[in-house]
Amino acid sequence: MRDQTAVEEDVWIPTTCGVCYSVCALRVHRVNGTVVKIEGNPESSTNRGRLCPRGVSGIMTLYNPHRVNVPLKRTNPQKGLDIDPGWVEITWEEALETVAARMAKIRAEDPRKLLFTGTVTTQDEVPFAKLFAMAFGTPNGWNSGAGNHCGTAEHLFGALMHASWSKLPDPDHCRYLLNFGTGGGFGSYYCVTGMAQRMADARVRGMKHVSIDPFLSPSAEKADEWIPIRPGTDGAFALAMLNVLLHELGIYDGDYLKHHTNGPYLIGADGFYLRDAKDQLPLIWDAVDGREKPFNAAGIKDFALDGSFDVDGKPAKTAFTLLKEHLKPFTPEWAEALTTVSAATIRRVAKEFGQEARVGSTIMLDGKVLPYRPVAVMYFKGAQGHKNALLTCMALELLTEVVGASNIPGGLLGMNSTSAGYPETGRLKWTPTADRDGLMITGRWPNPPAPYPPRQVKGPETIDLRGMIPTCPGSSGALPVVMSDPERFKVPYKIEMNLHVGSNFVMTFADPKAIEKAFKDVFQVSFALFLDESTYLSDIVLPAASYLERYSHTADWMSSNSPVGDWCYHIRQPVVEQIAQRRSACEVLLDLVERLEMRDEFYNLVNLMIDLKPPYGLDPGRRYSWQEIVDNRYKSLFGDERGLEWFKEQGLIKWPKKVEEVYWKAFSNVRVPIYFEWFKTVGEKVHEMADKLDINLDTSAFQPLPEWRPCHAHAGNGHDQSLFAVYYKFPMQTFSGTYDNPWLDEVSEIDRFAYRVAINSATARRKNIRDGDWIEITSETTGSRVRGRAAVTEGIHPEVIAIGGCGGHWSKYLPIASQEGKGLCFEWLMPVGLDNVDIPSLTQDQCVRVNVVKAGAPL
Amino acid sequence: MISARSVRSRTVDLGERFRPQREWSEGRGLLLIIAHFLTGTGAGCWLFAVFFDLTIGLPIGLLLVIMGAIAHLLFLGRPERFWRMMTHFSSSWISRGFAGMTLFIPVAFTYLLLLYFAAEQSMIGKAILLVSLLGAAWIVVYKGFVWASSKGIPLWNTPLVPALYITYALRAGAAMLMVLLAFGAPASEVGSLEPAKLWLAVSTAVLVLIYIEVMRGSGITALRSINLMLFGRVAPLFYLGVALIGLLIPIVIGGFAYGRPVPLELLGLAALFSLLGDLSVIYCIAKAGLYRPLPM
Amino acid sequence: MRYGMVIDLKRCIGCTGCAVVCKAENATPPGVLWLRVVKQESGTYPQVRRVSVPLQCMHCAEPPCLEACPTGATFKHMNGIVDINADQCVGCRYCMMVCPYHQRFFNDGQAGYFDEGYTPFEAAGYPRHQEGVVSKCNFCLPRVGKGLEPACVANCMARARTFGDLDDPNSEVSKLIRDRGGYQLYPELGTDPSIRYLPP
Ligand SMILES: Nc1nc2c(c(=O)[nH]1)N[C@H]1C(S)=C(S)[C@@H](COP(=O)(O)OP(=O)(O)OC[C@H]3O[C@@H](n4cnc5c(=O)[nH]c(N)nc54)[C@H](O)[C@@H]3O)O[C@H]1N2
Ligand SMILES: Nc1nc2c(c(=O)[nH]1)N[C@H]1C(S)=C(S)[C@@H](COP(=O)(O)OP(=O)(O)OC[C@H]3O[C@@H](n4cnc5c(=O)[nH]c(N)nc54)[C@H](O)[C@@H]3O)O[C@H]1N2
Ligand code: SF4
Ligand code: SF4
Ligand code: SF4
Ligand code: SF4
Ligand code: SF4
Ligand SMILES: [Mo]
Repeated sequence: MRDQTAVEEDVWIPTTCGVCYSVCALRVHRVNGTVVKIEGNPESSTNRGRLCPRGVSGIMTLYNPHRVNVPLKRTNPQKGLDIDPGWVEITWEEALETVAARMAKIRAEDPRKLLFTGTVTTQDEVPFAKLFAMAFGTPNGWNSGAGNHCGTAEHLFGALMHASWSKLPDPDHCRYLLNFGTGGGFGSYYCVTGMAQRMADARVRGMKHVSIDPFLSPSAEKADEWIPIRPGTDGAFALAMLNVLLHELGIYDGDYLKHHTNGPYLIGADGFYLRDAKDQLPLIWDAVDGREKPFNAAGIKDFALDGSFDVDGKPAKTAFTLLKEHLKPFTPEWAEALTTVSAATIRRVAKEFGQEARVGSTIMLDGKVLPYRPVAVMYFKGAQGHKNALLTCMALELLTEVVGASNIPGGLLGMNSTSAGYPETGRLKWTPTADRDGLMITGRWPNPPAPYPPRQVKGPETIDLRGMIPTCPGSSGALPVVMSDPERFKVPYKIEMNLHVGSNFVMTFADPKAIEKAFKDVFQVSFALFLDESTYLSDIVLPAASYLERYSHTADWMSSNSPVGDWCYHIRQPVVEQIAQRRSACEVLLDLVERLEMRDEFYNLVNLMIDLKPPYGLDPGRRYSWQEIVDNRYKSLFGDERGLEWFKEQGLIKWPKKVEEVYWKAFSNVRVPIYFEWFKTVGEKVHEMADKLDINLDTSAFQPLPEWRPCHAHAGNGHDQSLFAVYYKFPMQTFSGTYDNPWLDEVSEIDRFAYRVAINSATARRKNIRDGDWIEITSETTGSRVRGRAAVTEGIHPEVIAIGGCGGHWSKYLPIASQEGKGLCFEWLMPVGLDNVDIPSLTQDQCVRVNVVKAGAPL
Repeated sequence: MISARSVRSRTVDLGERFRPQREWSEGRGLLLIIAHFLTGTGAGCWLFAVFFDLTIGLPIGLLLVIMGAIAHLLFLGRPERFWRMMTHFSSSWISRGFAGMTLFIPVAFTYLLLLYFAAEQSMIGKAILLVSLLGAAWIVVYKGFVWASSKGIPLWNTPLVPALYITYALRAGAAMLMVLLAFGAPASEVGSLEPAKLWLAVSTAVLVLIYIEVMRGSGITALRSINLMLFGRVAPLFYLGVALIGLLIPIVIGGFAYGRPVPLELLGLAALFSLLGDLSVIYCIAKAGLYRPLPM
Repeated sequence: MRYGMVIDLKRCIGCTGCAVVCKAENATPPGVLWLRVVKQESGTYPQVRRVSVPLQCMHCAEPPCLEACPTGATFKHMNGIVDINADQCVGCRYCMMVCPYHQRFFNDGQAGYFDEGYTPFEAAGYPRHQEGVVSKCNFCLPRVGKGLEPACVANCMARARTFGDLDDPNSEVSKLIRDRGGYQLYPELGTDPSIRYLPP
């Protein structure tokens, strides 16, 4: 044991956490070469000196002896979920030669045969690897459950309504938070640590938080009111609220709808905009002049918001009128039967929400008078992760729009939709703009192009239907389906190789058996921290440097940058000497770029995508080290004196956010849709294409207005013995990736629910299950069975069981995680297939029906 | 050495609403149970040996106390620091007990030396004997207070526990003597002891019942503990060890022997059983100890 | 001078960050958690309330553990912090039986978290702990000595924890206790804990 009395070294190193995408700023304490503590960097406005348990536990992942330390090659030709690959150590040189050779061959034949998969956990390596894939020439990328579980449809509306990937309630002014199942501010979602502090302030300030969630989840626990809802029916709840607001209470923000939405646009009988003959611009009705005008015509006296008009012979209604009429049948009574929430409760919530919106009120901020709408509707994975994703998100977004609570004080804020840029260099500047129809185009999108304006509908050249369905903004839930049967989708090639940068997709997407089928015959190269379940399908595993062992060009991530307060950009740098043979994936990719002789394509793409302005652009004439590229990125953004060296010292740079940035909507003239006309257009195109290729695809969800549709799990409607199963995140784990961390394991063990299955007391009694009993859960769709211990509680809908996180590991290389009773893997219960995908957004439906029975204790 | 498993089980405990105490009943904790049994029995044995003038009980009694003391030491995480336990006589029952033992052992030892080697009983001898009796009594008494002063464990935190421990110690002492006599000494002497032992057996039985009844009404945690004893994981040992072997059988045999003469061996057996019962009761009460639920 | 801590159950989100940061700060061995967070549920569906309650040594003004300790290893600092002098502890675990908040841990071996042996962090940190003795939260005395807040206070991501002098009526803790009705756990036991909770 080292003698601690002699202290040769004692330093604090600023860097950035990478255990989830909240990218909190760290200061790491190193004594005599050993990391002894990881703390939050108080300078950062992202986390303001605080860390979640996962961030603190990083030490135990850094030094975990189960980490991959050397390049490995499989010796067992047989591949399978639990067939030991028979790893043998190889040299980096051998590994990279093998990989390069394979890649070169594929690139020569058809680059599209290369698939790139990555985790959301890393916001540096994965985006960078994506650039590699693009330069390589493949359009195929996949983020496991990322997006296709949590926010494919939600991110689409993020782009359309908020010009941002994600959104959060205004923590400083919101007074009424309607939370449709997100952990935002309560230990998950975006900006975890920053929002936890700000939401706590809001609670003490008196903000009312209503949580609509089947489970009394970590966030619902903190709500002032918990409304249990049947899974997958949030759309119905929202539609009923809209119905009450518009038809019973007459509460809506007319002024906002006239000037910031397409509410006043005139819609013809065919459901499309009426456009003026000359410029094909959408028409509105000027109530004063009593005639139609292009929406952007000079001197419009008053936009008619509500009404039917005759536009030279053609009958027309405003979009708002259509919406209103459309909502008529969706009464609280109608919703009660679906959601199991009483009509009275829905009415009350709608009333509270409508009144607290204080339509018409204003607030003075920094000398400017702004509209004040202190209500926010939050939703994410919980509400959107269903077969009805698109239409559900649409309904939920309309709640915000109807009362005008979008991106103004007190309301729902896009995560950094507008940036005036870093004052000294004017870089990092973006802002939403309007297209010809006056509708909003995002100023900045993490994986361009943004979903609007719609891309054209292409034939099946991607392996995941994204080319054909341009409304999917992220990662497609259809990938495993198409991948296992390309012919059926007329994809002219097969995936032959998978460049795998993290992601335990075998456990985090759906039915592992189906995933095995899709990936079995693919040559898989994995950058891995651990030999997790997905590496059981790998051919070569490369020892990845973790976030504590590498440099990053993007340690920050806009979506997790605090919605209010300061702009804040961090550095990520190694806090220890290289451990074993672990290497940064970015560094290795640069090496591969050379071996594949694709420097020109790659460097040019990098210059473009990470926006390296001269003189910091990469010159294909010479090779750059990873550090140089990081250095260039920082200099390009923050000026010559603020390169890597400066950031390694300072750790971060920050400057205050302006009112015009945070509450940008009040200063902008862009409009957002409340009538999604272009969905109709795109839907028809997709339909044609599908017909042409005779792929049978249900395109009926491409609708301009919201409605509620059942998921498969709703067939039984909970009256029989079977139950709904849902999963939820808790603050102690990140998906499946942290379960081998012994500190997190201990706190998860102590938690009543983390490793167990929450089941309602009455339901449990019916099945004579007692708290702590072992139970067996069988999926009605996949037929697979998982075991776990019951946590019998009053805090869950009687028709539902809730499974925490993503445990239930079985890799023998994760000895801590792979013990019986360390959580369950929900994915075994979730089928893979287009029946379980929301076509317009390609979201995976996470509604499953299961049978639960008491089981014997494990042997 | 903590293996991954035992770490897990300890951690799981921390989440349990009613957390069992383990330190004084599991692993090395068993040594403490044995220690309390041995010292109690030894001290009791010494007392009775003196009162009924059964010399053979004296060396055995001392031996048991010494063995108990050793078990005590082995139980400690840091045996080499045992002497520090002397220092807080004023507030700590362990200190007090420790004092009692350090008083008894040397004094009793000297007395034996005098007894065997000195010519005739001297005044000093009597004085020493008196002190040894005080020491023995003290050992019999203090143990119960150690458990009873445990604020953390409602099942123990009652004046009944000292009463219970005292009677059990005495009973064990008597039983020990009987075992000795049954297999060795002339019958005549035994008769004199039997009534005392029977009386003790009955009274402990009564005490146990009272204890259980009282604790059932002493708050939710104590009730939980009692349920563990009567219906839970401790129940098998309770019914077999405490009730049947420890009380029922000795009382029956004793009652039987009260009227008519019975073979010595039978009495010896009864005594042996009651000793097992004494050990069981200490273990059961320790094992059933639960902490108050937190937060409330 | 009496150090105390206020834990605001309205702010606390039960994240267990405090439990983990305590392990990091104090390099406590496996199974030893000087701080843990438990859940308390009440009511019946759908009117249910679940509250997360962080627990650690309450630094009682009248500590039963101190009374029971036969060696004097357990003692109280002038500033009210109840502490253990490991060099004097014999490991009798009496204190573990008398602590009504079960906040003491016996370290019966120095095994690390991994069968493969100590990580560098453990090798550096574990020598701070003795085998065969009892340990518990010490209010991060070493940090407090340096003028820092206790680790669990400094790191709490809901800013639910406040540390200060209970004797000073103007301290932040005293104010919070007054304004928000701070209460103790099991006051009827007469231990007079220095940790106060604010109602959820
Ligand atoms: N049961 C269940 N399933 C889920 C979810 C859930 O909460 N529960 N959540 C869903 C959602 S929203 C998402 S986004 C997905 C996420 O799904 P994944 O992205 O697959 O997340 P993880 O399971 O954490 O897998 C991440 C893997 O990457 C590795 N890793 C972590 N950091 C690095 C790094 O810096 N470099 C490299 N090379 N590897 C790294 C980790 O060791 C881990 O093996 O899961 C979805 N599936
Ligand atoms: N601690 C932690 N933080 C994380 C992550 C992590 O793994 N761990 N992952 C990050 C990522 S990638 C993501 S996507 C975000 C996700 O962050 P969240 O949006 O918080 O995701 P979940 O917790 O999976 O789901 C939220 C809630 O949805 C509820 N729910 C399930 N089905 C339904 C339904 O039909 N309707 C309603 N109303 N609610 C439902 C669940 O009970 C759960 O409480 O968190 C990010 N932050
Ligand atoms: S929230 Fe995410 S980034 Fe922040 S500390 Fe926790 S794991 Fe790290
Ligand atoms: S860190 Fe703070 S919020 Fe998290 S559990 Fe502890 S006290 Fe509660
Ligand atoms: S909480 Fe327990 S350990 Fe802490 S001072 Fe009070 S009695 Fe002693
Ligand atoms: S274990 Fe140590 S601290 Fe506890 S009572 Fe015994 S000597 Fe005192
Ligand atoms: S005060 Fe320090 S020692 Fe006590 S629980 Fe908090 S972090 Fe742990
Ligand atoms: Mo996600």
